[in-house]
Amino acid sequence: MSVKAAVSSISKTINAGLVLSRIPIITPELNALESKYYQYQTELERRLMWTFPSYFYFKKGTLAERRFQSVQKGVISKQPGVWFPQGVPDVKHNRERSKKQEVVLPTDSSEGSNKSDVSRPIVPNSRTTKADESNDITSLERRLDRTLHLLVKDVNGKWILPSFPVNTESTDGKKGLHETAETGLRTIGGEDINTWTVSNVPVGVVQHEKDLQFLIKSHIVAGEFKLQDKKSVTEFAWLTKDEIKEKVDEKYYNSIQYLLAEQ
Amino acid sequence: MLVSGVGAGRKNVLKAVQPTLNLVRGKRTKSKGGLNPQAQRIITQLSVMSASRKQPKLLKLSREDLIKHDLIQACWSQYQREIREKRTEMLKLQYESIEQAMNILEEVDPELYEIANAEEPGKRIPLELRVPTQNPPNNVWYYDYKKKD
Amino acid sequence: MQLVRGFHSSARASKAACALVKPVHHLVKIDKSKLSPRFAELKFSKNDIRSPAFKPVATHQDRVREHYYNTIQSDLLLINYSHKSETKEGLKLRQWDGSSPYHINREPRKPKGSKAQLPDIHPVTWKNIPDIESVVVNCYVRDAKENQYLPVSAALQLQQITGCKPKALFSRNDVPAWKVRRGTQMGAVITLKGRPMSQFLSTLTEIVLPRIREYRGISNKSGNKFGGLAFGMTSDEVRFFPEIDANQDLWPVTFGMHININTTAQTDAQARTLVSGFGFPFNGLEKIS
Repeated sequence: MSVKAAVSSISKTINAGLVLSRIPIITPELNALESKYYQYQTELERRLMWTFPSYFYFKKGTLAERRFQSVQKGVISKQPGVWFPQGVPDVKHNRERSKKQEVVLPTDSSEGSNKSDVSRPIVPNSRTTKADESNDITSLERRLDRTLHLLVKDVNGKWILPSFPVNTESTDGKKGLHETAETGLRTIGGEDINTWTVSNVPVGVVQHEKDLQFLIKSHIVAGEFKLQDKKSVTEFAWLTKDEIKEKVDEKYYNSIQYLLAEQ
Repeated sequence: MLVSGVGAGRKNVLKAVQPTLNLVRGKRTKSKGGLNPQAQRIITQLSVMSASRKQPKLLKLSREDLIKHDLIQACWSQYQREIREKRTEMLKLQYESIEQAMNILEEVDPELYEIANAEEPGKRIPLELRVPTQNPPNNVWYYDYKKKD
Repeated sequence: MQLVRGFHSSARASKAACALVKPVHHLVKIDKSKLSPRFAELKFSKNDIRSPAFKPVATHQDRVREHYYNTIQSDLLLINYSHKSETKEGLKLRQWDGSSPYHINREPRKPKGSKAQLPDIHPVTWKNIPDIESVVVNCYVRDAKENQYLPVSAALQLQQITGCKPKALFSRNDVPAWKVRRGTQMGAVITLKGRPMSQFLSTLTEIVLPRIREYRGISNKSGNKFGGLAFGMTSDEVRFFPEIDANQDLWPVTFGMHININTTAQTDAQARTLVSGFGFPFNGLEKIS
């Protein structure tokens, strides 16, 4: 696979396109191989770990030490004249050396202590959101583990990356492609959107018969895309790479697919 | 004053309770170890970092287990290699795409090309683009952004 | 080419191709323990499960690395792109002009304005996108010359913060002005790579640095010219590490430390852009060359 060579393209109109993305907010989902492998490696690591030096963290004779020791599972020590089917125990520092050590931390509920706000267990937020359940493709809170890209539906009913004509006839200093793209975004999507343009350099070019669309890469940092008027753009959506493949036509997808984030 | 008063009282009580000192042969006069507390703390700190008496037994894999382990490792490294190759391929395509876009832009509109190719000193990636976490934050997205003038 | 009058008329023509550098084969050290048939397991490489030094590496998902590959890497490719740029040659050693017969076999001159040769700066392509290579945390305790207990505590502090084993640092020279004797243990150092490095960076940017009062960021003047950034933390700031914060009574004294971020970036400006992507703020004026 390689990018197609340039063709002579003078006297085509220039458009500034925008690859606007929302970066992932949560880590990607692990596949079966990854989770199994990490589990295997973690078990190996725990087996080969040094004994936990509890004497450093819990001073001898303190209440904290007693609470810690009371919740630890005991080890079987060697006895004379006893047959051990699992192998003769080899205990050092209260740890069976041929197994992984399981350190149990005393919880506050195990011994009657005052319950404060600090000791309340932390409940992590769900990795799926309301927008995922309702499959709201205009929401920025959907598919938190993937990069989302902004796509708009033009007057012809085609899904494309937002694109804005560049004013090439202006006399007093031209605006760069990135400025055209950013101001264009605000005209269709409202002013209350904070984006970060990655660079002035276009990340790619899509060549149509009559025009050239130079793509500027940008990330949305805060705010929201709110459709202003439905004249030039009828709909918008935040989509992952796989979803874009289904929405746009194949030729267009092939010319932009390597610019879209995989995860 | 109150505190010292209590302390003095306690001392008197102890004096009364404790029997008078009588010397016995073979009795230890020095405490065990004989290290000052600071040195004792350093020894504890050193033992936290040292491997002595803390190392588990070495792994002894049977031949079958070793073959299994090697197979798992080979599978993992192949998986990693595939990911890496795919990533480099994408980056290569991106680079060629940038190059092509700049070539065409130079040809079509030299003025826009100059602006695009200008250096951007002091470019920083904004802090708001945070490293993803295992679970989402309480406030998933910041919507109340207002345009600054 | 200018003809030089040599000591002998055949000086140039019949000059033997001999090196003044001593041959290398006398310098190659042979680890004789590897030749012995005993202790066969010591000959396995460290990533082999049969080796006693085996330690599993990929034990969990590395979210910092994944963020780099998903987002930062392609952004950096675009940011550092410069159209039709060519390799900028660094300062190199200068050859003598050959006007004197003594120039033959003389060591080449030092580069102009630099003591050593400087590396070439290549345009950034998909092959050499800047990346964080390693993080080196070092802790030099000035009072260690009087109290030899202190470097032990400093080493343990590094171990607690990073979860890796520190290396002791010894002073190399006698410095009478500082009352430093050669061979005294003066502190500890840790080189972090891979997952421990990611863990350390995320603890730093998500927990420690935000808790420092009026923290402004890494100085924009920091840098070693070759893409390495460094900053320091005082002994009070070190207390914000969760491992130390949770056991305040174990740490009556903490030690300040230096954190060096080594990157594959070729210039400091590139390195700053890269490091800002991991959530480090920057502060101060940047020198634009």
